[in-house]
This record gives sequence, structure tokens and C-alpha cells, in this order.
Amino acid sequence: MQEKNPILEVCGLCTDFWVDGKYNRATENVDFKLYEGETLGIVGESGSGKSVSSLSVMGLIPIPPGRITSGKILYYSRSGVQMDLTKISENWYRKIRGDEISMIFQEPMTSLNPVMKCGNQVVESLRIHKNITYQEAKKITLDLFEQVQLPEPEITFNKYPHQLSGGQKQRVMIAMAISCNPRILIADEPTTALDVTVQKTILELLKSLQKTYRMGIIFISHDLGVISELADRVVVMYKGNVVETGHVWDIFNRPRHPYTKSLIACRPPLDKYLRKLPVVSDFMNLSETRQTDPEKEDFKIIFQNEENVITPEERKKELQKLISGERILEVKNLVVKFPRTKTILGKVTSWITAVDDVSFDVYEGETLGLVGESGCGKTTLGRAILRLVEASSGDILYRKGNILKMTETEFRPLRKKIQIIFQDPYSSLNPRLMIGDALVEPMKVHQIGRNYAERKDYVMNLLKKVGLLEEHFYRYPHEFSGGQRQRICIARALVLNPEFLICDESVSALDVSVQAQVLNLLNDLKKEFKLTIIFISHDLGVVKFMSNRMVVMNKGRIEEMGDADEIYNKPKTEYTRKLIDAIPKGDFTNSYFAVS
Amino acid sequence: MIKFVSIKIINGILVLWGVVTCIFFLFNILPGDPATIILGQRASEENVKAIHRELGTDRPVITQYLHYLNDLSFISVHKPYNHKSLIYLNPSKYSWIPLFEIDKNYAVVLKIPYLRKSYITKRDVSEILIDTLPETAILAFFAICIASSIGIILGIFAALYKDSWYDKGSFIFATVFGMSAPSYLVGLIMAWLFGYKLAEYTGLSPVGSLYEYDEWEGQYISFKNLILPAFTLGVRPLSIVIQLMRSSMLDVMSQDYIRTAKAKGLSTFQIVVRHALKNAMNPVVTAISGWFAGLMAGAVFVEKVFNWKGIGYEVVDALSKNDLPVVMGATLIFATIFVITNTIVDIVYGFLDPRVRIK
Repeated sequence: MQEKNPILEVCGLCTDFWVDGKYNRATENVDFKLYEGETLGIVGESGSGKSVSSLSVMGLIPIPPGRITSGKILYYSRSGVQMDLTKISENWYRKIRGDEISMIFQEPMTSLNPVMKCGNQVVESLRIHKNITYQEAKKITLDLFEQVQLPEPEITFNKYPHQLSGGQKQRVMIAMAISCNPRILIADEPTTALDVTVQKTILELLKSLQKTYRMGIIFISHDLGVISELADRVVVMYKGNVVETGHVWDIFNRPRHPYTKSLIACRPPLDKYLRKLPVVSDFMNLSETRQTDPEKEDFKIIFQNEENVITPEERKKELQKLISGERILEVKNLVVKFPRTKTILGKVTSWITAVDDVSFDVYEGETLGLVGESGCGKTTLGRAILRLVEASSGDILYRKGNILKMTETEFRPLRKKIQIIFQDPYSSLNPRLMIGDALVEPMKVHQIGRNYAERKDYVMNLLKKVGLLEEHFYRYPHEFSGGQRQRICIARALVLNPEFLICDESVSALDVSVQAQVLNLLNDLKKEFKLTIIFISHDLGVVKFMSNRMVVMNKGRIEEMGDADEIYNKPKTEYTRKLIDAIPKGDFTNSYFAVS
Repeated sequence: MIKFVSIKIINGILVLWGVVTCIFFLFNILPGDPATIILGQRASEENVKAIHRELGTDRPVITQYLHYLNDLSFISVHKPYNHKSLIYLNPSKYSWIPLFEIDKNYAVVLKIPYLRKSYITKRDVSEILIDTLPETAILAFFAICIASSIGIILGIFAALYKDSWYDKGSFIFATVFGMSAPSYLVGLIMAWLFGYKLAEYTGLSPVGSLYEYDEWEGQYISFKNLILPAFTLGVRPLSIVIQLMRSSMLDVMSQDYIRTAKAKGLSTFQIVVRHALKNAMNPVVTAISGWFAGLMAGAVFVEKVFNWKGIGYEVVDALSKNDLPVVMGATLIFATIFVITNTIVDIVYGFLDPRVRIK
């Protein structure tokens, strides 16, 4: 690969963003090269500058508030001319954008124009750069739709974005990006918003397209697992700096920078059970960006020693003990339906069955994992238990009392005991309420604590327990990062001292490195508060790490149910196997640790 | 799509029915005896009774209401052979096409809604309205045209050159002239400034109607007279459109799909025209369309100031004389226009934005 000529060279790129009255550095001296026909992975957590670097290659950094202070982006164009993209005129840039360098974005839901037919959006992209008629462009577009495996290209051509699924939209985006046969394709977290199973098919599509078109791909993700599926070389970014660059095999087998090591380690391992997941702070001093903390170098010993690994026997024993205990929740033949179409008078003519005849038990003190693709009914099931959606038939017994038959007054004390943590930590906090007040509020409603001072003490104590500081009591949600907000949401759920917790995709919106911290936190709190948890996620790897038993759902029904480990090792149904296959493993994930 | 359209139309009819009901009961509880309005204070008791019998105002309220509905409906029931009946098919009131008869006494007919007669002039209310409505409609229509065409363009520029002197200037114009100043004040200033002070240069007159009379030429249409009142009426919508278009445009320009369009290599002009405009127009179109009927109602002041002989002028006149049928008819016409424009807008909106259709 190295003998080839680079098509893109980023040298010493520094960018600033204007935030709160001063310029903050977004990237600092970023260097990387992209060779012809190679896939370069850029990995890093949110805020590490990976998106900013790629957007500056496209010339899409909003100026202001952004600015490029120094550095060069050298591009070797199709005609062999070398140019510095930071210096060329806007008119010239427009000819390159979409033609020679194109981009796929993270959010397929919002990245397509909602009032324009999908086909025409691709046609437009073709007709800007190539001198062809609408009919010719349409023919090429239909070919492209065929290539990106969209169903019935002719029909999809005339559909609007909202009529397609997330994965299909991303395929339209890809078709648009490759339409002019670009030399460089930048994919900025193209699969993060999608289900694991869809992610797998998209990654395979990108791989095969690269083979056909021989383009250089820059693939950006926060997840090293995903990167390892695709990339030839990897750039690791941390706080605006490139901390490590290397061949993907080297990155996984001989990581040098502690941050890289932590990224490899923090994904829940699939072959064994750990008591505690490694997190970034175990590997390095967070205030230092470049130095390895010598004291923390021996992390292998910390996390790979026998004390941190739960043996299968121990797991079995624990499960036995749980199952012989009391049933805290029994769900019997639960059905939840939503009206699909109505007559003018509001009479329902057809239904969508979201949860279809589902029965399972939850034992006291256990974590039950609920896994399945989006739309399988797992979220609806979780909400039905809290009576946030109306169940159509069936029973839900909580400590022998039937939740569905209770009046609202009878149910109110139970609302205190059963709490839920939602997926999106950004939109589930009121932006105008101080964190402390948001946490004190439910206590006041349920009359816990005698006065404000007492409640405040309790909340401050709780903030410390979820890994925040006492002074965060007086802050507002926008001042926190995603991981911190999810901690706040957890604190809000725990403030009423519940015994039952439903975590609905609670870590799905978080970076892998932050996800590990939150998972550890949940496990610690489970012990401390003696919680029983239903853990809902689309990521089978995460569910397996968290749960004793696991329920796999598909199309509203239970596919299979049982010991999480057994399901993973011996899946009984085709669907479960598909879910397991879709987990991005990378061929190297465990080899680094295997050496030790 | 057919289902979507038919639901919207049925909705519109239901709303109109509600409006008719409200109008009827509202004006029913107003003080004022129609007989004394028609005959004057010193009318004899017999004459008063006769008037009551003729108008049906001696009947129970519910009968009066049904009678009113029957008069307004396109398809109505009548007694064609009974001269004394309230619902006698009187040729001086109705013009109809017979449909069919029920047991020889009743006939169902298709007719033009009957808005009754003015108490004062004895003319058909529909005739009065038909005479004056076009003038008001033309005034409102031009006001809307001025407001939307200028407003949308100015709004787009305000968004594209956000925080520039131009953006701030248009904001000040909009708040001072559009929002804060009442329309009769703006009207007076405009009439004085352009119709009087600067009349030499503008060639405009401070007052005047669409139809002017001239000793030599007789009646002629004067579009020149339209300019000042239309501007005055349009100033408020204009400033709202500027602000609305600006914020809507700013919102759309920060969307992900605009970034996608940029990444394709489109120029700013192409992005605005092909991607941003259609998305940004939706809230503006809804707002503008909702104003048409509102503007016709709002034309009352402006018509008074510029002496424009429209429906508003007529209503003010009728109100001062307690001429209820005219006021009721005019209110009903405003409501009908309101419902019709809203229905059309909903349907147009469905065409503009495919996501609306699925609901």
C-alpha cells in the first residue's frame, strides 16, 4: 500500500471554533495521508476533532464560527494537479465537491431533502458535474440504486425520503456520493444511527463498492470495532490531536498510545465476562493528552487477571440463586396494539401489533436483557410495564399485584418503585431546570424528605454516587457532555430509591468509551441499591455483558429466552444468529489481550 | 390523495355549519326589533305584527334557526303551494331548480343561498355583497400579492445576510411600521405623504375607489387608486412575511440536507432555489393564506380612510343603522372565504410537502 501515491495529504491542520466569546482549538496539527484505493479509519470520541478534520477536507466547516488557522490539505486531482484545498477559490471547490470528493453523513434521516424524490436528489448530483440530460442521469441513477441494493429501483426512484427506512436512506446517500465516481469518499459515522444488522450490510456494501470503484475511503467512527471491519490503516484522534497512526493490525496488536489501548479494551468482550469494563481513565491521566501514565501501564494486570473475570461456574451459580428466588415481575400473554388506519369518525380499521403475546418473568435482583432490532417491540414492551402505553390484553404482575388492573391511584406508589432511563440523554432533560431542581422535583412529588435542605443533601450525595460533583447541582443540562447527562438521568431514576429499573437503550447514543463507564456505573449502582433491571438494547454484545438472562425479540414476539451466555454460544434461531453475526468484532479485537 | 382532499372538504362544510349557528344565535340575542328598524318608532301594532309574521320572528327560536339554515342551504325544503307558510317558495326571494316532491306538500329544490333582504334599502343582501365584494377582494388580493412577493424575497435576503445592516434595517421597518403602528395611522400617513405631499411626483390621489366616474368618460376602472390602499393593507402582512421567511429560511439553511446539497457541489443560489425554498415556504404559505379572509375583514379601516367602496365600507354603514341581515351576510361571506381558502391551502400544502399527506 505504501508504495502508492497519496491522493490526499493533511499536514499540520489547525482549526478553531468560536465558542462563548473566544476561539477554542478543535484540531491541532492533524497529519494524515490517504493513498489510492485504501480505507483510512479515523477513530475517536465525540469532540476529538475527527468530524472537523473531515469537514475541512470537504471545505464544509462553517466560517464563522470556525476557522482554519494553519496547515495544508493537499489534494492530487484526477487530472494530476496538486492543490491546497485550504487556498482554492469557492468556485473551484464546488467543482471538486461531490465530483472528486464526496461525503456520507451520520444522520440518514435528516440528510436527504424531505420534499424531493430520492431519485431526483441523485440525478441532481450527477447533472451538476456531468453534462448529461435528465433521462441519461435517470438511467445512471437506476443503475446506482441497483448497485447499492435498493429494492425495486424504479419505484424507489419516485419515493420521498420519509417512505424509506433508515438503512435505505443511507443507501440513497451512498448512491448519491458515488454517483460521479469520486476519488475520495468520506463516511462520517455512516452507521452509528442504524441497527447493528443494518450496519453490517452497509459496511459490506461500502467494501464491495470500494473494490469496484477503487476509491480512497475515509471512514470515521467512535467505535474501533466498526473500523476494524473495514479499514486498512487507522488514525486515532484524541482531543484534537492525532495520537497514533498505523496499520489496522498494528493498532490492534501493538497499540502504543494508552488511549488506543483503552478504546480496544472498553468494548464488552464477547468470549468472557468481566466484573468491570476498562475505561479510558484506567489507562491514562485524562488531563495529559500525550503522555502515558507509568503507574497505569500495567492495566493488563488490572483487567485481565482472574479476579476481574467471572468464571462460567460462578455465573451459573448466581443464576441458579436468582431463579430460586422470588419473581418480582411476571408478564403474561401481553399484547400491545396501535391503530394503523382510522375512518373519519375515528373507528379503527386496522392495527399494528407491536407486542404480540409475550410472556416472561423477572426474578428479584437479576438483570434481564431485552434485545432485538428497532421496531421489534422491545421499547413498547418496556413502556407497557410502566403503563406509559396502554396494553391491549394480557397481565403484568408486579409482586403478585396486577398492574394493568390497578386504578391510577393504586398504581401511583408503584411508579416510585419502577423507574425508566430513556435513550436520548439530550432531549430527556428540561433545558431550563437546574440539574439539582430536576432531581429534587420527583422527591417532592412523592413526599420523600421533610424539606428542601434534606432533599438537597440527598441529591448531592446521589450525584457523587453517579460520578458527578456536588457543584453540578447548580448547573444546567447544556453544560454537560452526553455521558454526564446520562449519569444525570440515572441519578433522576434513582432519586426515588426504586427497586426496579428499565434501561431503554440507555447507552446507545453514547461513544463506546463513555458507554463502558455508564455500564460500570449501572452495575455498581445495581449492587448498592439492590436493583432489578430490564436492560433494553439493540446491541447484543452490550446486553450480554449486562444481563443474567436474555430475551431476544423479533416482530413483537419472543424468539428465544434463557441464560445470556448460552444464547450467545448456542443460538437456537436464525434471527439470533443474525444478530450475533452483526456485532462488529473485527478480526483482531482480542488478539492484543490474547498475547498476554 | 382523493381521500385526503375529501376529508378536508367535509371538514370545511362542518366548520361552516358551526359558523352559521354561531352567527344566528349571536345576532339573535342582540337587542333591536327588526320591525321598528323597518317601520320606524311610530309604527302601528298591526303593522309590527305583520312584519314579525313575514320574517318569522314571532316563532320559537329553534324554528327560526331551522328556517335560517333552510334559507342558506343549497338544497332546501319548501311548501310550494302554501302562500302563508314561512317556507313558501316565493319567486321574489329564491331562484331555484326543482328536484323532487315529497307527498305533494313539500318540494325539495336546488337553489342559490338566500341571504334575506336589507331592512333599510329592501335590496337583496346577496346583491349588495356581490356589488361590493369584488372591490374588497381585489384590494385584499393585491395587498397579499405585494406582501408575499416582496416579503419572501426580502426575507430570504435577510436570512442569507444575517446580522448585516440590511437584516437589522428590515427588522426595524417590520417592527415599527408593520407591527406597532395601527393600520389606520399608516393609512393616513400614506394618504397624506404619497397622495397629497408628493402627489406631483406620484400622481396618486389620497382617496378613491376602483370604479371612478368621469363627466366625459363615464365609469372607468382606476388601478392607480389601488396602489395606496393595497400597500397600507399589505404593510402588516409584509412585515410578518419578512420575519417569518427569515426565521424559516435560517432554520432550513442549518438543516443536514442543506449540508448534503453543499457537499454535492451546488452553489448558494442553487441551494436556495432547489432545496431551501420549498422547505422554507411551508410555514409562510400557511400564514399568508390564513390572512386573505382576515385582510378582507381588516380592510374595514383602510376602506374608510381611502373612501374605497368595498364590503367593509358597507358593513360599517349597516352596523350604524342596525341593518342586521347585511351584517350577518357579510360576516357569513368572510367566514366562507376563510374556510374555503384554508381548505385550499391545506390541499396545496399536501402537494408541497408529501409528509402531510400520510396522516
